[in-house]
Amino acid sequence: MIYAGIDAGSRTVKAILLDGKELRVLASGIADQGIKQADLAESLLKDILKKAGINRKDVGKIIATGYGRNAIDFADTTITEITCHACGVHHWIPQARTVVDIGGQDSKVLRLEPDGGVRDFVMNDRCAAGTGRFLEVVAAKLEVSLNDLGGMAQRAKKASAISSMCVVFAETEIIGLLASGETPENIVAGVQMSITSRITSMAGRNITDPVVFTGGVALIPGMDKALESAINHKIIISPEPQMTGALGAAILAGREGLEHVSIIG
Amino acid sequence: MSGCCGKNNNIKEIDPCNPPNAGLSGLTGTDGSSVCELLVWFHEMVDHCYEYACAEKKKGRKLVGIMCEYTPRELIMAAGAIPVCLCGGSVEMIPAAEHDLPANLCPLIKSTYGYSVEKANPFMEMADLLVAETTCDGKKKMYELLAKRHPMHVLELPQKPNNPEAFEYWLYELRMLKKQLSERFRVKITDEAIRSAIVEMNTERRLRRDLAELMKSDSPPLTGRELLDMKSLISCLPVDLEQYEKALNTLPGRKILPKPDQRVRVLLTGVPLPHGAERVMDVIEGNGGLVVCQENCTGIKPVLEDVDPDAEDPLRALAKKYFHLPCSVMTENKGRLDSIRKLAGEYRAGCVIELIWQACITYDVESFHVRRLVEDEIHLPYLRIETDYSPSDSARIATRVQALFETVKHRIKR
Ligand code: SF4
Ligand code: SF4
Repeated sequence: MIYAGIDAGSRTVKAILLDGKELRVLASGIADQGIKQADLAESLLKDILKKAGINRKDVGKIIATGYGRNAIDFADTTITEITCHACGVHHWIPQARTVVDIGGQDSKVLRLEPDGGVRDFVMNDRCAAGTGRFLEVVAAKLEVSLNDLGGMAQRAKKASAISSMCVVFAETEIIGLLASGETPENIVAGVQMSITSRITSMAGRNITDPVVFTGGVALIPGMDKALESAINHKIIISPEPQMTGALGAAILAGREGLEHVSIIG
Repeated sequence: MSGCCGKNNNIKEIDPCNPPNAGLSGLTGTDGSSVCELLVWFHEMVDHCYEYACAEKKKGRKLVGIMCEYTPRELIMAAGAIPVCLCGGSVEMIPAAEHDLPANLCPLIKSTYGYSVEKANPFMEMADLLVAETTCDGKKKMYELLAKRHPMHVLELPQKPNNPEAFEYWLYELRMLKKQLSERFRVKITDEAIRSAIVEMNTERRLRRDLAELMKSDSPPLTGRELLDMKSLISCLPVDLEQYEKALNTLPGRKILPKPDQRVRVLLTGVPLPHGAERVMDVIEGNGGLVVCQENCTGIKPVLEDVDPDAEDPLRALAKKYFHLPCSVMTENKGRLDSIRKLAGEYRAGCVIELIWQACITYDVESFHVRRLVEDEIHLPYLRIETDYSPSDSARIATRVQALFETVKHRIKR
């Protein structure tokens, strides 16, 4: 049987088709988020079905996850991104015990049970300062691309101190730093540090090795190093870090529906 | 009232069988008319209290506002007065309060004060006296401002529950309250009057305890929200006590929807949920949970212990019960941890959710111990929710609650 997972994140939508028996990814895709999330997700699903040469009728179950999961009306059910990320990461790296997920507009730290279940989690979805949004703002201000940021941070002499707790104010601060002659390289390093120290304070002392890094921000060069030095643990970047949520959703779709479990044991 | 529990969803006004504020369609079961009447009765709780307070005031009885479960209602009742809870649960009162109070303060404190500024709580306006208490810093300092607007007596609560000297001081404070009440209201407060108030309060505590215990069942006959709604602003209203009795007779066997066996049993602990501030409870129960036990001041905490009406010194007996209340303002507050441990077992909770009002320092810090206890000792999933009265973060809270329930189900499966 074939299963689909849709991760309707705040910045992008991801979809995965999975062979339920072999747990093999048949096709996957990603699209920028828009206003009509359901339509976007629908056409993305169509695309990957075509790519894999699969008929929609052969998809056994569709699970939606992510911030916009409830808008995906064609999904059979929804599961939170917390459970899905845990499941997706566990699939790729079964020994993972901590997951740091930094997405476009939120970030979270999950601690996993040995079987891939969630032990506990903390989540920041209130403020952009600990998320990928911060990097986008900086890249735009410095007129460089997101992919340049890693190299720039490496060339930094020292990381500028970014004191603002909020992206909007930090933007003003960056203009001030540039005006006072601070190099863009130092500013980039400062912003990376600011994001990762957010994650550190959110995670508290609850970090158990191995630590796996997921979410779109894991793809930005240099962020893994910045995170490593902030949390003082070695970091493994997850394979396809943007897809772990959708993958988890597809795997869970293949398992016997969680929702049918009787609660009274 | 007839037919209010049918499938008709167009009912305007209050239909407790389809609670509008909860926004949870089909949450409750299909009921016979007696159960339905009961739920309607408690849905109109504030109105009953208001009618009662007005009628009794006309007869010359005094009304005393209280804002904490440390305040012994019995003493007020023994003075012939009516104690009424004034804790604010409305978000709408907060802007007015923020003219005088810092924004970064517990919403319960701000809302209570805002009601006074807006003169929007008729009970507060009618009250002949407010009895306040030195519990948390925020309340204590807010009372100084509130005292400029209303006559007030402040009880000084010592905060080391195991210190015998502290207890003696608390007893002294109750004597001072007794003196204040009898001087202000020109009544003699006899031991007999205290004893009979104790008997009355014991009756109410027993009834509320028995109701709460209905939730121990595999198939609880109430939602947590419905049980919460049964708490009245004024204790021991004779009609309420009758309804409690009735509830105990009619509720067992009632079926609620969604079915309890498909919902996660939640022990809710932390801060109280005053009338109007039930949002988090609704989010929990609207996302697959069933709050089987509330270990907090609007739940079972204040009714767990009774007072011996035959004690040689009834005032001392009262002081003892109230001093035992395990609130986070106490140090150390081991009693609360013992209580959570016990209740989680008795009510067979599948997880523990702790609610903390924003800027509530004492419950916030104490959550360290609660998390440890729950995760490492009781081995249940734990979730801490920190929020205020504004509905803006309900979706965020829902995601966390759903994730918690997914974890609970995953563990059961394992
Ligand atoms: S939580 Fe503490 S301060 Fe608040 S009502 Fe209860 S006992 Fe009083
Ligand atoms: S919730 Fe906390 S801060 Fe608010 S009144 Fe109660 S003890 Fe004080």
